[in-house]
Amino acid sequence: MNRVMKARLFKIFRYAMLLIWSVIVAFPIFWIVSTSFKPDWEWHAWPPVYWSQEASWANYRAVWGREESPRTSTEAETKTARYESHSANKPWQALWNSLYIAITATALSVAFGAILAYGVSRYRILSEIRMFQLLVLRMIPPIVVAAPLTLYYSAIHLMDTALGLIIVYFITTLPYSVWMTKSFVDEVPVEIEQAAEILGATKWQAIREVIFPLIRSGIVATFLFILILTWSEYLLSLMLSKVDVVTLPVQLAKYEGSDEGRVYGHQAALAVGITLPLMVIGIFIRKHLVRGFTFGMVKR
Amino acid sequence: MATATIAQPKGRRSTRARGVRIFKWSALSPLILLFLFLMPVFLLQIYFSLHSWTVYLSTWFDAEFVGLELFQEVLTEGRFWRAMGRSLLFAGLSTLGCFISGFILALLMYKPFRGQAFFYILFILPMLTVPVVIAYTADMLLYEKGPINGFLSYFLPGDLSKFTWLANPDIAIFTIILLEVWNWTPFVFIIMLAGLSSLPSEPVEAARILGANRLQIFREIQLPLLRPVIFLALILRFLEAMAEFPKTWGLIQGGPGTATETIPIYLYFTTWVSFDISKGAAMSYVVMVIMIFIVLTAIYVLRREKRAIDALHETSRTEA
Amino acid sequence: MSEKQIKRRSLLKAGLATAVAGPAVLGGAGKAYAGPEEDAVIKAGKKLGGAKLNGMMWGLYWRNYPDLNREFNKATGISMDKVSDVPNLQIPQRAMAEAITRSGKFDIFHVESMMIPSLAAAGMLEPLDSYMKSAGFDLKMVGNFETFMQYQGKTYAMPTDGNVCPQFIRKDLFDNPDERKAFADKHGKPLKWPVTWEDELEVMKFFHRPDKELYGFGGLRDKANSSFWYWMYLYSAGGFPFDDDANPTLNTPAAEYAFDTWLARKQVSHPEASAWGSPQMIPRIRNGKIFSCQYWDGIIALIESPTAKTKTRGMWHYGLVPGSKFSGKLIHRAFSAPVMAMVVNKHSPRKKQAVAWAMYMSTYKNSAEVVGHPKFTFHDPWHPKHMTDPQVTKVYTKPGIKSVEDNLLVTCPPPYVTGYQEFKEVVDRNLSEAYAGRKKGAKKVMGDIQNEWAKIIRKVGKRKLKREIPFYKAMMPKVDVPS
Repeated sequence: MNRVMKARLFKIFRYAMLLIWSVIVAFPIFWIVSTSFKPDWEWHAWPPVYWSQEASWANYRAVWGREESPRTSTEAETKTARYESHSANKPWQALWNSLYIAITATALSVAFGAILAYGVSRYRILSEIRMFQLLVLRMIPPIVVAAPLTLYYSAIHLMDTALGLIIVYFITTLPYSVWMTKSFVDEVPVEIEQAAEILGATKWQAIREVIFPLIRSGIVATFLFILILTWSEYLLSLMLSKVDVVTLPVQLAKYEGSDEGRVYGHQAALAVGITLPLMVIGIFIRKHLVRGFTFGMVKR
Repeated sequence: MATATIAQPKGRRSTRARGVRIFKWSALSPLILLFLFLMPVFLLQIYFSLHSWTVYLSTWFDAEFVGLELFQEVLTEGRFWRAMGRSLLFAGLSTLGCFISGFILALLMYKPFRGQAFFYILFILPMLTVPVVIAYTADMLLYEKGPINGFLSYFLPGDLSKFTWLANPDIAIFTIILLEVWNWTPFVFIIMLAGLSSLPSEPVEAARILGANRLQIFREIQLPLLRPVIFLALILRFLEAMAEFPKTWGLIQGGPGTATETIPIYLYFTTWVSFDISKGAAMSYVVMVIMIFIVLTAIYVLRREKRAIDALHETSRTEA
Repeated sequence: MSEKQIKRRSLLKAGLATAVAGPAVLGGAGKAYAGPEEDAVIKAGKKLGGAKLNGMMWGLYWRNYPDLNREFNKATGISMDKVSDVPNLQIPQRAMAEAITRSGKFDIFHVESMMIPSLAAAGMLEPLDSYMKSAGFDLKMVGNFETFMQYQGKTYAMPTDGNVCPQFIRKDLFDNPDERKAFADKHGKPLKWPVTWEDELEVMKFFHRPDKELYGFGGLRDKANSSFWYWMYLYSAGGFPFDDDANPTLNTPAAEYAFDTWLARKQVSHPEASAWGSPQMIPRIRNGKIFSCQYWDGIIALIESPTAKTKTRGMWHYGLVPGSKFSGKLIHRAFSAPVMAMVVNKHSPRKKQAVAWAMYMSTYKNSAEVVGHPKFTFHDPWHPKHMTDPQVTKVYTKPGIKSVEDNLLVTCPPPYVTGYQEFKEVVDRNLSEAYAGRKKGAKKVMGDIQNEWAKIIRKVGKRKLKREIPFYKAMMPKVDVPS
């Protein structure tokens, strides 16, 4: 077998493998999107319905639209009725809570992580062993502290507040932010920074003009990774929220348990809404993503 | 270089040193304050693990002191160790699964080819899917005469429409493991891809000129250089999998029977279904000790690997 | 969508007078439509001053309330402002978490009534009797059902949902002459409505045809719900889970008989039943894949309501659940659980207003509107007048409502004592393990439950339980066979 043929065979093999994995990845995602457009009789048909014959936005309207009033039975009445209860806009409120809490906590974690990482990389403000110990913070399963945390939070009135959730998310994601950003700062040679200072830049200018542009895509990757963790966090959010800061993963659980039959369609419509923001962000910054994940374990 | 400090002109050294010190403490103090802020959580945990408290009998601060009785109860309980075993099985197998699939994909994809960007985007999607959503999606897919069985029936021989994914206690845990693998393969994939594409190309070229085949190059050059990254991926994945809750809970709440009751599920049951806060606290400490033991081992391994790679880097740097 | 087709007029005709009061006209009109019972509650509520309440409600139930809530707000200034609409499985856990932290955040919890003893013992609940008296509110429920709202003689809850489980049998199959003949040929006796669990099993076995996607039995056997059916078998065998000294009595012959009866249904159930809750089971029942079951009466409305879209409308018999002759005489027992009810948080600064709000939702007229809703059919009748209310009858059908009433007369709760959730967890888990084949034999399974219960009893406090057991016993129906 000559080299060309080998290369061609490898190519075929590669595409075959990638296609198989693509199907594995895409099928559940395809299913949830297609289910969100299906009317209820297609939810568990046999043989399964892949493309809905009567696709509609009905599930999205039911979940994301106005709450239906029990007394209004025509569509016109539903549209004109006003609702005073908060649960009417629950998914939107939960979406807002999720965005607000996840983005704030992530931004804080990455920003603070970057400062620490710079300090560690340049001035060793944390020794290597301390850096590893920092990882322990992430490694305690949240369920282990959920009960005392609940009691403590109620005692100091942090229960059901955005601040309370932001604090725990900040703490639990900090190890990853420090480790990831540190690997990027490490990659920037000290000499570049020194050169800038010799040319008359202040320390702060050197960081802003030289270091930051070089590690920007690393920061973006870190941000996305931490955002994934905070956005999808379920257990702590479930324990530490009541009515005011319910997040989307908890809101989705509304469809758990008994119902008048499976609400597949509604669940799917809500799930699409939960997943879409992350996917959009992820796809936008995919170029940066591939940089972020060696934790300094490989040197370039 | 990670540990290089910036060389300073002589006269300004002391002010520089003071500046660094101020920077150090102003950067670390929020962290220390947060630890202090969260300290009561762990103190409460200790209190509860040593006192037997029932919400029906007294307020929590009058609970009866029982010493280490609760720890004894946890440590001698079959259910606890079975849950621990399941957790280790779950974390171990799902880590292995993520690693194998993630590594193979990374090996197939680290060199540019047509369609790379498309596959890359597609393959990271599972990681961007919220775990609760995965649980509910699995609920929609995995039943007798369900979509997955229908889909598989097209490709595989035999009647798969009767395959039960969740109701069979011997299979349920593997179903959950498959979900975890689906969810987190991208994590390993990205780490390995980053690792592979940042490997220096010179040794590979040199080996190729010397007549080594692909397998030899992989085994003798790429794999040793990747060791630290491989360990990192395995360890992080294993530890995160030990804490996995939303998928297992959202899908079958540890059922059927206790077939999928992992440590997080059992802890949840103890604390929030049976309201046994005290036993839950004692169990939490046992779990924490076990986890910290695992983490310390992991840290030891990681540090060793990091040292090795730093040293390697150092030599290649001096040679250059 | 068919619900668009019910016009205002048809609702009016159906006797749902308040239904026409759209939001625009509601202003002062809400009161005008209200009856004397509602007026009394409104009068009492007005004196308290307005309040914005927080509630923890089961989402699917809450959707019936926004209009009534608005109406009460207009009249008194008291409204449910923020609702945490959580799934029912989470409510007891989350309510107890509130009790543990003694939080006043929620004013009203919408929980299953079996949680009343635990929540009251944890110091969470406000007794409602004095409020009811001063508002002139009289709580009426079918049969012995009022005791489901009480703990140690005091009323703690306002009901929203009866949730009794009648017997469902497929009419088209059961009445089919060919089937009847085949059954008579096979068993040498005519096919009759099952009187005992053994009869029921025989009939279900006859109609169990998995190859044709027809399963004999459609009751739940998952981890969250198994025990409800178990209590029914136990009570009908003359058993009771505690003796008078608060010792568990689950290693008795009656308890083991109940276990065997419970497990025998596996032969005629869907192979995946151990992983199915209502979300999976109800569609199977509605779509005609189940021959018979005991299931929550809301499913009657779901199948028979004029606006329902079901394949099996008019294809069901509803009736009394089978009983048992195990104790020597025939006893019928139907289970009612979870009887969803609204309890008021004692730690809440707005508890007076919360009580008024809860009472308003539980007057006959308002509850009939909720129970008899043609589309949001998940609240089930409990008021004596619901049994004759035209709108409720329309949604549940005459035979349906008759079966609800019959079963309510012999209904009983799961262990109605402090620590219910803990006791239930043990039973559910062990039953589920037995169903999955991981534990074998009634003696072993019930013995394990017995031992684990003994531990819980120590934890909850034996003296406390001893005081509660007479009240629990008094909840048992006075009749064994409803006439």
